[in-house]
Amino acid sequence: MNQEHLLEVRNLTTAFRIQGNLFPAVRGIDLHLDRNETLALVGESGCGKSITALSIMRLIPQPPGEIVSGEVFMKGIDLLTLPEERMRKIRGNKMAMIFQEPMTSLNPVLTVGFQIMEALIYHQDVTNVKAKELAIEIMNQVKIPSASRRFKDYPHQFSGGQRQRVMIAMALACRPEIILADEPTTALDVTIQAQILYLLAELKREYSMAMIFITHNLGIVASIADRVAVMYGGEIVEVAPVGDLFEKPRHPYTEMLLRAVPRVDLNIEKLSYIPGQVPSIDRMPPGCHYAPRCDLRMELCDRQDADLVPLPGEPAHRVRCWIRGDSREIQDKP
Amino acid sequence: MIKFVLNRFLLSIPTLLAILTIVFLIARVIPGDPASVILGDSASQEALENLRHRLGLDQSLIQQYIQFITGVFRGNLGDSLVSGTSVMREVLNVLPYTIDLTIAGVLIGIVFGVPLGILTALYRNSFLDFIARILSLIGLSFPAFYSAILLIIVFSLQLGWFPVISSGNLLDPVQRLHHLILPACNLGLIMVAYVTRATRSSMLDVLREDYMRTAKAKGIPGMVILFRHALRNALIPIITVIGLYIGVLVGNSVLTEIVFNRPGLGKLIIGALNQRDYTMLQGLMVVYSIIIVITNLITDLTYGFSDPRVKYS
Repeated sequence: MNQEHLLEVRNLTTAFRIQGNLFPAVRGIDLHLDRNETLALVGESGCGKSITALSIMRLIPQPPGEIVSGEVFMKGIDLLTLPEERMRKIRGNKMAMIFQEPMTSLNPVLTVGFQIMEALIYHQDVTNVKAKELAIEIMNQVKIPSASRRFKDYPHQFSGGQRQRVMIAMALACRPEIILADEPTTALDVTIQAQILYLLAELKREYSMAMIFITHNLGIVASIADRVAVMYGGEIVEVAPVGDLFEKPRHPYTEMLLRAVPRVDLNIEKLSYIPGQVPSIDRMPPGCHYAPRCDLRMELCDRQDADLVPLPGEPAHRVRCWIRGDSREIQDKP
Repeated sequence: MIKFVLNRFLLSIPTLLAILTIVFLIARVIPGDPASVILGDSASQEALENLRHRLGLDQSLIQQYIQFITGVFRGNLGDSLVSGTSVMREVLNVLPYTIDLTIAGVLIGIVFGVPLGILTALYRNSFLDFIARILSLIGLSFPAFYSAILLIIVFSLQLGWFPVISSGNLLDPVQRLHHLILPACNLGLIMVAYVTRATRSSMLDVLREDYMRTAKAKGIPGMVILFRHALRNALIPIITVIGLYIGVLVGNSVLTEIVFNRPGLGKLIIGALNQRDYTMLQGLMVVYSIIIVITNLITDLTYGFSDPRVKYS
């Protein structure tokens, strides 16, 4: 166990039962998060980003979901083996999550203020009066105008951007050490997106939190992340510091993903895209998951999946690819 | 809030007026002269004229209508053709019995139906869910008069716990309750079945909502999530079902009152039908309509209290 990391996920596999059979939605996830760090989890829809975050929080609906194997260490404690009651005390307190849909993720019959207060009431030894004070304070911090007046309002009286601010206030109420943000800006207008991102980055710095930021928007990644993990078909295919990933992507999928970002500074007539789509979890190819869409694929790719290995001389940059990864692997295996 | 209550209250007045108009028209549209229907073929011309005058049928339609409406708003529903007593007085005599029965039936439905619905939603497709679903299906398809007879045979005749004829003295609370239990259970069984099904499906919908996951992610204890976050949202469709089935309940109470030989609106209406008590029937139609309108008003107001989106919009 590596004590250095705030959060370390090892070999996490979460599967879903479809008509009696168990299919892994994420497989062999290894990642870590250090204090004050932002790790971006990037990939197309359905690649397992959200499942990874929900597995870390142990919020996978069971059934049909099931965490099959792996460990999630937070400061040396394996969260996956904790009794539910101890895990509950970590959720919303030491580790909190911001969800994608601010429209449906707030309870329509409870006041916004109460929903922010709630986490404080159950995690911290505070009176209701004090909890209300703290809730108004955090509402001010997420820049909800006239917070003390809006405390008693219901979610339907807020705009989308404001609701996401409420979600952030709820998640940050207990000053967690880790924040899992699952596409927090996807459902918002572009102008609001920037405000929310700026707010998150600012609060993260102020509270010295670590953050896992899930997105499919590479533009956001460049501005917010320290490191990036690219996911495809339920696996991490490449991890690298943000600069390295953008400058020298190694995995063919990462390359294609970067090329698919529209650029105004280059005079390109046609937008590029990746042909095909992410295979569904019950139809995963037996070898490399990306092989069917890959330009470089060779015979071995269809047969066997590569391991996520560091590049020679670059321990922080790891790639899961027979061709672009550590070539020794190919010689080792028959 | 006061504005909301007042608004809903005022809205129910035109509804009531419309119903009264329909009740009035039905009585006039039915073919044949009511007087000759009441008195039979062999009645003399003079007797017919007399009755027409007593019923006000010799006046113009507009005059009759105005008299009818003002009568209703003054609490005057006319006199019974059979006994000659005021319809209003007859209704008021038995109304407490029917109100007792309906409220008790609804309460039994809520007290047993809501928890059962929550349990079956939480443990869906389990053995408990399976049993509860079969029982509620039986409850729904069981005729009220048949279950009433079974209840009397078991609990009144064999075990002797309750009286066979459930009238009871209204002024003695113990006796009133004792006489109420068996008929209320008979009505309540059906209500339990309805409420269980409504609660189960409504809870299943709510449990799938995103905000349930949010609540869990905040680390709130499971019981608090269940009652504060899930049930409060699930309540809205449950209230609708209860409000709707109070109407059904009033209908079912006719059968229950007859089998238990219990005074009430149901017995009154059957009596009036058998004796062709035309004014009594018209009066009872008005009373039933008012009950339904009031029930809807209460349902509407309950919405306002349980769903903030209703109140403000």
